[in-house]
Amino acid sequence: MSVSQERLQQIENEYAIVCCRTEEGTILSADNLEDPGIFEDLQDSGLLTIPSNCLKVGEVLGAKLLKTIDSLTPLTGDIVEGLKSLKEEKEEGLQSPMEKAVLKYNKNAGEVISAQDLENPMHFEKLQDSNLLTLNDKVLTRQQVVGKVLNTHAAALTPVVATMVEGYEEATMAEENEQSVISNSFGQQILRIKIAEGKGIDIEIPLNMTVPQAAPQPRVTFPTAVSKEEAVWKEEMKVEPKAIRKLIKKHYEIKEVKLGEKTKIEGSTLYIRENICEDAINASELVKDIKLEIITPDKYNTYSETIMDVQPIATKEGDNKVGSGVTRVLDGAIIMVTGIDEDGVQIGEFGSSEGILEENIMWNRPGAPDKGEIFIKTQVTIARGTNMERPGPFAAHKASDVITQEIREALKALDENSFEKVEELVQYRRAGKKKVVIVKEIMGQGAMHDNLILPVEPVGVLGGKPNVDLGNVPVMLSPLEVLDGGIHALTCIGPASKECSRHYFREPLVMEAMKDEEVDLCGVIFVGSPQINNEKFYVSERLGMIVEALDVQGAVVTTEGFGNNHIDFASHIEQIGMRDVEVVGMSFCGVQGALVVGNKYMKHMVDNNKSEEGIENEVLACNTLCKEDAVRALEMLKTAMNGEEVKAAERKWNANVKENNIEAIEKEKNIKVELVENETSIPMSEKRKFKK
Amino acid sequence: MKKENSKNRKLYFVGVGYMKYGDKLIEMRGIITEIHDGAVSIDFKGRLGNMKVPMRMLISDYELKVGQEIGMNMSFPEVLSEEVNEKYINNNKAKLER
Repeated sequence: MSVSQERLQQIENEYAIVCCRTEEGTILSADNLEDPGIFEDLQDSGLLTIPSNCLKVGEVLGAKLLKTIDSLTPLTGDIVEGLKSLKEEKEEGLQSPMEKAVLKYNKNAGEVISAQDLENPMHFEKLQDSNLLTLNDKVLTRQQVVGKVLNTHAAALTPVVATMVEGYEEATMAEENEQSVISNSFGQQILRIKIAEGKGIDIEIPLNMTVPQAAPQPRVTFPTAVSKEEAVWKEEMKVEPKAIRKLIKKHYEIKEVKLGEKTKIEGSTLYIRENICEDAINASELVKDIKLEIITPDKYNTYSETIMDVQPIATKEGDNKVGSGVTRVLDGAIIMVTGIDEDGVQIGEFGSSEGILEENIMWNRPGAPDKGEIFIKTQVTIARGTNMERPGPFAAHKASDVITQEIREALKALDENSFEKVEELVQYRRAGKKKVVIVKEIMGQGAMHDNLILPVEPVGVLGGKPNVDLGNVPVMLSPLEVLDGGIHALTCIGPASKECSRHYFREPLVMEAMKDEEVDLCGVIFVGSPQINNEKFYVSERLGMIVEALDVQGAVVTTEGFGNNHIDFASHIEQIGMRDVEVVGMSFCGVQGALVVGNKYMKHMVDNNKSEEGIENEVLACNTLCKEDAVRALEMLKTAMNGEEVKAAERKWNANVKENNIEAIEKEKNIKVELVENETSIPMSEKRKFKK
Repeated sequence: MKKENSKNRKLYFVGVGYMKYGDKLIEMRGIITEIHDGAVSIDFKGRLGNMKVPMRMLISDYELKVGQEIGMNMSFPEVLSEEVNEKYINNNKAKLER
């Protein structure tokens, strides 16, 4: 496909390759050239090899073709007549020679600066406003630098100063030695230099000693320099953070789970009523059978049906609502929901994680069991053929919740003084800091692609509203509501990337953002992902309006898994980005979940992948958002909000990008970010061995 | 070396070097035959088989109806090695025994 006139301006320096068969004698124009954006793809698939002497777009425009060539032929000097020399032409046409010289592109040491390497002065004001650029007297003018050789590597948008250019170096050093430089009428020192090459041009540079720095600004992923705006901002930061609400989590640890006559907690033992399943089966007509198993660590190597959900056991004290007041949490055990239908078909049959438990669970992920915990595992059998209909998976959750509720009652009955560990979570609003919002996209395509929002009990069923029934529209939760089990996830397919209910109960991004004193987290928006595209765009536009009304400076958008939810994920980012709010996207992508769509606002992305090969490896929660991803996303967002540029990642997935970012953060913040393990740390299942 | 690997992955990501014909894309057409809340079934035209995919893997601008046509790029399924995946077989056995 040929390129448009506007695009032409951006690609002047790219290789010139014809898009279609072009006849001898053609005067080359935009219509004949291919968009350079696709060259990498073409090279990868072997369709194109670009020779070293391939001409640039700017050179061939208006030139005459000497020979008929096929599509996708790179243009070289021997088949084109009447080339324009990019450099010469530009030098002749050097506009505003007395304006400051600022590099437009990255340049290496030894390269000659030409007029086209310099940023157009009309952009200076904008760049300075956004702190991308600081100009001072030391910066040379355009006229002075054109044709000079750089002596150091310089990143784009670096103002060119004397020390960076050959020929000026000595003069600058001389200036340091001889303090008796000439003073002008304003008392400023002036350096006069004569350059032999420049054929006797006299240059005057005011010596502003307050700016010693001349080295190029490296483009890193987070702030290094303190800009003016930031200084003001720091001043404002002295406003005391305001505590909005508090949540107290009281923990009670159990070490044993047994079946008994009555459900109760005695010492460190939890007894569950033996015949509890008889009641649980009545939870829904669709439930045909329910089995309860207690999986202690020595039984980790047993077979299990697919893990539908992992849930914490927690209850509210008195009339406290989810998100405030006191929550009692039972440590040492979790509820695990598993299920099949009467034909033995797994609920959520695709990429299900049935099999030996320890081979299929990535321990200690936010949404997964911790190693050593006891699983109270329900195995629900639902009516034939309902595994793919909305009521089916819901019935399995509802039946399991009957059991959980009885344990909750036992937890409520405990004496108030029997809790040893008390955790206090406070939600602060930090006026004066950069205001950010977290947007979590949850699945809403139907069946197990559904979530109950704000049940009465943490991760309960009663009172929760399914986001599918709410039309998947954005719903605002306080960070504490999220961390208090405000989301009961019916969790869909893709074991490695699905966010189980427990994930929200200890959501790392929310926790990190709450802790971060440099940002003001205003809330967490949950937005469902509907099936049909126009519904996706409907909810996405609503999200955009909410974000606009919130007046935030930054947003993090997360999604779970991959598939058509990436369409609305991209749309959310666009809706937020087009309102001039900096936005960071987080998703599992790796190799297999590469995004299906993109837009120009999707420049700050964090990949949640942890698997070795970048794939959905069928290990529960392996590729979900962890603390290390949360830290990266927040740092990236802060960087973007400060107007610094985040380097583009390589075109293809490369795990090293993440490691580099983590290293940079550790170095800058002087903290240690522990990286979590991946599937290589657990016994290898045959399924995975095979794939290797 | 690492860089090369990541290059190859684009075409043969499931197992570097296993798939020989991974880049032979064929445009397939099919018909939606069943719609569930969580999944759709699709028959390939030309009686070339059928498949069932989760809802979230299907992209649509329209309200879903049985009989709608879909298109997708596929290639031929290629047997990767002689080995049998014992785990899947064992899981099936375990299911039956329960």
